[in-house]
Amino acid sequence: MDSEENIRSLRMAVRAWLRENVPAGWREAMTGTDQASFVSAQRDWFAKLSEAGYATPHWPEGWPGGGRSLVEQKVIFEEVARADAPRLILFFVALYHAACTLLECGTAEQRERYLPGILAGEIWCQGFSEPNAGSDLASLKTRAERRGDHYVINGQKTWSTMAQYADRCLLLARSDRSGPPQAGLTYLLLDMKSKGVSVRPISQITGDDEFAEIFFDDVEVPVTDRVGEEGNGWAVAQATLASERGLTLVELSQRMRYSLPLLRDLMRARRCEGDSAARRDLGALIARVDATCALADQYLLKRISGTEVAGDASMVKLHYSRTLREFVSLGRRLSGLQGQYDPGFMRGATQETGNWTLDFMNSYNWSIAGGSDEIQRNIIAERLLGMAREPKNWQLESPA
Amino acid sequence: MTDYLGELRDSARQVLAGTGTPASEDKLWPLLVELGWLLAPVPEHLGGLGLGIEGACSLHTELGGGLSQAAYLPATLCLDAVCHSDLPEPERAAWVERLCSGELGTAPLTDPALTLASGAGALSGLAATVQSADRASHVLLWTADHDCLLLLALDQPGVQITSRATWDVTRRLFDLRVDNAALAEQLVLARGDAARAAVRRLHTLRDLSLAADAIGGAAALLALTLEHLATRRQFGRPLALFQALKHRCADLKTRLAGAEALLQDSLAAISTEAGDAGALHTAHKAKYLACATFLNVAEESLQLHGGIGMADEHPCHLFLKRAMLNEHLGSAEQGYEIAIADHFLGTA
Repeated sequence: MDSEENIRSLRMAVRAWLRENVPAGWREAMTGTDQASFVSAQRDWFAKLSEAGYATPHWPEGWPGGGRSLVEQKVIFEEVARADAPRLILFFVALYHAACTLLECGTAEQRERYLPGILAGEIWCQGFSEPNAGSDLASLKTRAERRGDHYVINGQKTWSTMAQYADRCLLLARSDRSGPPQAGLTYLLLDMKSKGVSVRPISQITGDDEFAEIFFDDVEVPVTDRVGEEGNGWAVAQATLASERGLTLVELSQRMRYSLPLLRDLMRARRCEGDSAARRDLGALIARVDATCALADQYLLKRISGTEVAGDASMVKLHYSRTLREFVSLGRRLSGLQGQYDPGFMRGATQETGNWTLDFMNSYNWSIAGGSDEIQRNIIAERLLGMAREPKNWQLESPA
Repeated sequence: MTDYLGELRDSARQVLAGTGTPASEDKLWPLLVELGWLLAPVPEHLGGLGLGIEGACSLHTELGGGLSQAAYLPATLCLDAVCHSDLPEPERAAWVERLCSGELGTAPLTDPALTLASGAGALSGLAATVQSADRASHVLLWTADHDCLLLLALDQPGVQITSRATWDVTRRLFDLRVDNAALAEQLVLARGDAARAAVRRLHTLRDLSLAADAIGGAAALLALTLEHLATRRQFGRPLALFQALKHRCADLKTRLAGAEALLQDSLAAISTEAGDAGALHTAHKAKYLACATFLNVAEESLQLHGGIGMADEHPCHLFLKRAMLNEHLGSAEQGYEIAIADHFLGTA
């Protein structure tokens, strides 16, 4: 299936399709626009990709667009980056996290019930983080109380991407408070239109509001919408949290490489092509960007050959997030005072838009979300380098 | 080929474990000649193993990790130039035979300032950083305009070598002075366009080889540092338990993994096209990042070792000094970052 010939012809087909179908001028159209037109542009793009069979390459055979090998998926992600197509931000949780949770841990009945909706463009959000459970996710407190054939949910989630548009939510809630933190969690599929759900968008430092808080007030979820056993939610979340692992970073690191000309344009516009300090920073950055691409690529090849070890994925993410920060910091610095005038932000854009101050602030998404840089460093140190694990039951010493 | 490469690496690792750190030149050079490491990158039709640049680089990595004092890196550059020269094949094969059986052909690790007086056909100038020149019979040289690539015999009038003391004691470097050496007496490997392409190839190879050496050094030093942090105890616990130290090690490991991936990528991309300009730019990036990473690991490792790292008997400083030298070897005079940027900006 993955013969060189097949892979090359898939690449050419995807490339040709993207050339015809990427909405021309989408970046301009998404600058300074409102959320509603962003959502509608995302829906259109999803419909096109889905119809062409490129939205669900990771789904199993038998589902539309599914049955693609990891090598083929990599090709599609690479071509999307190369074509500078919009990212499917609004549908990402549905297509990857929700679908993979259902496919790997759901029942046949749950798959039949929810996957067609995802294919039809339903939007899902993730209800994991809480105000007091960020990096320490397992300490989350939102309650799920079993009452007959329902769970009753009370509590609050936060940093849920696009929750204000979501039809459904992947919810991790506490069904048991007696054991260790990881033991009492249960994984539920929640209808966002249920009685007692309220959503409040979070206004961000960039001016955007792509995250939201979700409040649950006696919300009922049928037991049939539980994934896995009661109390087994942590394992379900772990199994599927990283379902796209590697692919997104291959795409993003290549987008970063394709965005390097933004810095060339900037240096020309600012007339600092001759400046030694700027050139030195640029040269160092180019090498690091190439290394990020090489590392992401190598990681995916490890996944394909089954030689991945614990900590590998963390290194790819950390390398990307640090290099991205260097990239956008250089752009912000070189753009001088001009970079401090606000031209209106771009919705659904990539990490590098050339609106440098916005890009700089946005880059923190990558060093905080999805396991912060500090969490990744812990994983690399403890799992990959074998450094001694942090002792459990840590207690604050009382001052002498 | 990959299996064979793996075996070669494993055997190199065993040999280096036996020679200690730093691996002394007296012990290592005869051993690596005997084990046929010099033949690893030589094409099969010239009697080599045909493992190419990748083969040589995997050995450079192992030798870098063992702080090898042997002049294997310049020897492979010299051999490669002979193998890809304009000499007739039997003559190339004869030279391969000589240079792989103990006689050292070395090369400068930076660019020589050598000119050819047009009328007289006489070479003059200075080549710095010629490794182990006192053990060599020949040295690979090229003129500053890249118009002539030659193999110069060291035992001839007008050629003088001077040992230079360097902070890095894991390599012995010499200045080589050439004063009116007649070109007619030298073995010319290429002239004109062929010479320019050969020098580009040599630069590409040298950059990748130095990158491989740096990766090996960085990996070995990071392993040493991790071992120290795991065994050294303060405040009643191993240092490895302190998060402030863990995070620094995780950063070093991540940077190293990136530099290593870039080198592997570069090797795969250019192993067939080492003579073209694109290959050289690829090699610049690999060299820059690997050497910057090695230095970063070395600077951090000295700090992470604490007092013992300042002691001469501990090998930590040997890595640091090798890393500092590596940064300045190679060809980009203003620094590799500038060369990379100028190429990208189209101002080179």
